[in-house]
Amino acid sequence: MTIAFVGGTHRTVPLLLRERLAFSAEQAAEALRRFRSRFPGREVVLLSTCNRVELYTAGESQSPPPADQLVSFLAECRGIDAGLLEPVLTPQQDEDVVRHLLSVASGLDSMVLGEPQIVSQVKQAWALARQNDACGPLTGEMFEAALRTAKRVATETGLGRERLSIPSVAVADFARGVFERFDDKRVLLIGAGKMARETLRYLREAGARDIIVINRTAERADQLAKSLGGRPGRFDDLAAELAAADLVVSTTGAPEPVVTPTVFARAEADRQGRPLVVLDLAVPRDFDPRIGDRPGVWLYSIDDLGSACDANRRSRQREMPAAVAIVEEETRRFMGDLHHRSTAPVIEQLRAGWSETGEAELDRLFRRLPNLDDTARLEIRQAFDRYAAKMLHPPLASLRNESHSGPPHGLLDALRRLFDLKE
Amino acid sequence: MIEFVSGISVVCFAASYLVALACEASRLLFRSGVRGAAMIAFAAAGLFAHTLFLLWRAANEHAVPLSSAFDWYLLVAWLLAGGYLWLTISNPKTPVGLFMLPLVLGLIGAAHLSSREPFPQSPATQVWGAIHGIFNLAASVAVAIGAISAAMWLIQAARLARKQAPTQGFRMPSLEKLTATTSRSLGLAAWTASAGFISGLVLNAVNRRQGLLETVPWDDPVVLRMAALVAWLVAAALVSRSIARRPNAARVTAWLSLVSLGVLTFSILWGLFGATRHGVPPSRPAAIVGEASQ
Repeated sequence: MTIAFVGGTHRTVPLLLRERLAFSAEQAAEALRRFRSRFPGREVVLLSTCNRVELYTAGESQSPPPADQLVSFLAECRGIDAGLLEPVLTPQQDEDVVRHLLSVASGLDSMVLGEPQIVSQVKQAWALARQNDACGPLTGEMFEAALRTAKRVATETGLGRERLSIPSVAVADFARGVFERFDDKRVLLIGAGKMARETLRYLREAGARDIIVINRTAERADQLAKSLGGRPGRFDDLAAELAAADLVVSTTGAPEPVVTPTVFARAEADRQGRPLVVLDLAVPRDFDPRIGDRPGVWLYSIDDLGSACDANRRSRQREMPAAVAIVEEETRRFMGDLHHRSTAPVIEQLRAGWSETGEAELDRLFRRLPNLDDTARLEIRQAFDRYAAKMLHPPLASLRNESHSGPPHGLLDALRRLFDLKE
Repeated sequence: MIEFVSGISVVCFAASYLVALACEASRLLFRSGVRGAAMIAFAAAGLFAHTLFLLWRAANEHAVPLSSAFDWYLLVAWLLAGGYLWLTISNPKTPVGLFMLPLVLGLIGAAHLSSREPFPQSPATQVWGAIHGIFNLAASVAVAIGAISAAMWLIQAARLARKQAPTQGFRMPSLEKLTATTSRSLGLAAWTASAGFISGLVLNAVNRRQGLLETVPWDDPVVLRMAALVAWLVAAALVSRSIARRPNAARVTAWLSLVSLGVLTFSILWGLFGATRHGVPPSRPAAIVGEASQ
């Protein structure tokens, strides 16, 4: 049994080449069919995401297709010169492939450490292979092990728990710390940078409905409000809008603070003590930092949020050793099972040989003792079976133990010679 | 079965709550897949034993809940432990036990130090006695919940002010939710403590007029401490209400709630170790109640 792999990730393949190499679902299905006809008897799964293209193949044969053939196959499927791919795609075999797949599924090999989307992408790749009759028992067990490992890493470590993007941290770790719900809150959007839109997406997911968009240009505010599903406001009414808002997301490109302590003081008088969360995502800042010292105001600049993201990133890094240990444990378990499976033909022959000899001896015995009744015959037969099982137990247990540390070739050879088994 | 139930002691459920508290504290140190289940199991076992203990006393020792200082404290602890279990199951990520279980254990400790002798009762004053006990019970629970919520508010606010992401295993509810809980608890505590105090006065007056039982002097330490507690709670609730539309209202209310718990604790300690005629049978001289149980 052999497992082989060839693939490249964001670390090895430049973006331009990665874009050309990426497979759509239809293209991946076609590639799987072509692989099966090109390499009969080999199971195959193709994992293609925006950050990686990886081909996993497994089969009963002793030697897998050479790596250059797999690279050529991928190049041919995507119409790329194989010479461009050879230096950037990495080949791997057997245990290294399993370890790699388990790491990938657990998010340890992702651009954003521990990101959870990769698990569903691995599931989709495996499902596509099943739909196209491209995978079999070996890849099936391998991908099952990968998903089991991903689940263990997710539940037993904190690798994927902390958020890493500024908008998600802003909403989940800070805005949600102040507000229980958002469907009764007013969100004020000042300016419309890309990050503000992303933050607004998280706020909408959290339930925010009442969104006011203001911009120095009224037409731009109208357009943005329409595209973001909010209502346009007037920039001249900034103080009034601040008084009515519960949460402000600000991303103007203004060189000076848009909201000064003087502007805020006008709004503060009308706020009646309601708390205000300000996510100032602009550089330079839109809110004078002194506003953050006012009671009931929770002001977060992009640096504050960035620091929280960095802390979360460090926290994920601290979980790495535990996650790697799980991957190692599952890899060893899978390889042990795989090696044990390779001993199946020998075990079968061994059992068959003992059974055949036993049956012959039993027949001879029953012919010499014709007066035995059925109960006695059954007892004798069961005693023979128990004897055979007990005699076979030590060599089979040795085989199983030996499988944990690698293919038990030496022991298999010894058994074949000792018991005169065929290759 | 009877042997099993009669063998349950205060130590049994206190130990269960203590283990649940240790599990809660370990949230801050390491991650575990089984801790949540262990925490709930120990808290549930403790609450089960606690319930059986109260039922056994009610059925076999004629000590219905609220009938003695000992049972009163245990009933408050039982209510808070039940609340803890419910909150832990419904909000498993919030370490509410770190705040509630020390109070539960403190109340069990107070019960241990207090008298098990039933409060003197007569058929004419039984209803007023029950009303007095129930309102005081509700006030104590409200003060405890308000203070827990206030402590969580201050921790959450400090975290948000420091601009730090939540610590693993120490995620607090939102300020909005905590503000509402603190403020409502303080208001409820003021109302119920007032009702408890007034019903106590009525109970004492009925006793005095009918000469049924020996009355508590108006300057008895228990009367004074309860009056002080009620005055504090009413003042705190009024202050909290009057500043509700100010930006720092939530913070002030949180501190008022924490101080309320301090006043209640002081009041309980005074009750445990001070001389009083409250709850003492007519034949006995005024004594330190804690000594009466020895």
